[in-house]
Amino acid sequence: MLSAQERAQVAQVWDLIAGHEAPFGAELLLRLFTVYPSTKTYFKHLGDRPDEVQLLSHGQRVLEAVGVAVRHMDNLRAALSPLADLHAHVLRVDPTNFPLLIQCFQVVLASHLQGEFTVEMQVVWDKFLTGLAVVLTEKYR
Amino acid sequence: MVHLTGEEKSAVTALWGKVNVEEVGGEALGRLLVVYPWTQRFFESFGDLSTADAVMKNPNVKKHGQKVLASFSEGLKHLDDLKGTFAALSELHCDKLHVDPENFRLLGNVLVVVLARHFGKEFTPELQSAYQKVVAGVATALAHKYH
Repeated sequence: MLSAQERAQVAQVWDLIAGHEAPFGAELLLRLFTVYPSTKTYFKHLGDRPDEVQLLSHGQRVLEAVGVAVRHMDNLRAALSPLADLHAHVLRVDPTNFPLLIQCFQVVLASHLQGEFTVEMQVVWDKFLTGLAVVLTEKYR
Repeated sequence: MVHLTGEEKSAVTALWGKVNVEEVGGEALGRLLVVYPWTQRFFESFGDLSTADAVMKNPNVKKHGQKVLASFSEGLKHLDDLKGTFAALSELHCDKLHVDPENFRLLGNVLVVVLARHFGKEFTPELQSAYQKVVAGVATALAHKYH
């Protein structure tokens, strides 16, 4: 559960990402695939070396979903229900992969915000993204 | 044993040469204690850890972070024998400090985020990949003597 202050901090960071979902998402996926190659097994349709167009397209989709989550922090389960169904019945991404994506998310944030990436932002986004992963895997069984 | 290519080893060493080991150590340990507050369980004698600000400015955190990173630095010189290099420290963390090895993985991940913060674009996916391998190797080496 995020406090009111934490929700404000999540939204504050999101303001820096909004409008840049595609390049942020592309870098996120590129890092995920480079650092944790086993995650590519969930993206066979992108091929062994996804190109920039594919990364931008899929990256945008992922980040737009994060945006939905940001706008519905007080009602995540309802807002993400279709995505939770998708992950439970179609994608079936092993839950251990979400922390890998979250680590890459933090690295993208840190490398872009640098001096502005405070420890408060890091803890709040870790908490938020971890909660998001819980919702996405909740219907698995 | 970490499996880095020659190129990866050079890149890791080159970046590390630019790291302010004193500062980065304190920052990494501080961020660990704030982002994963349950890790504070090992540092009850450190004084005020009640707020993020208190943690990041805590002199004991800075000093200990420095010590940890100096040790990590040493490990970087022995990537082919991390288990040997960290054998004594592994025993210490198991027998005396009773630290769950999961904490080494958490700290390694936080260190990578701190490096990304300091180096920005220079911290490419390839460099992140090399460093994640290194921190994973160090964590494994530190867990190796657990019994």
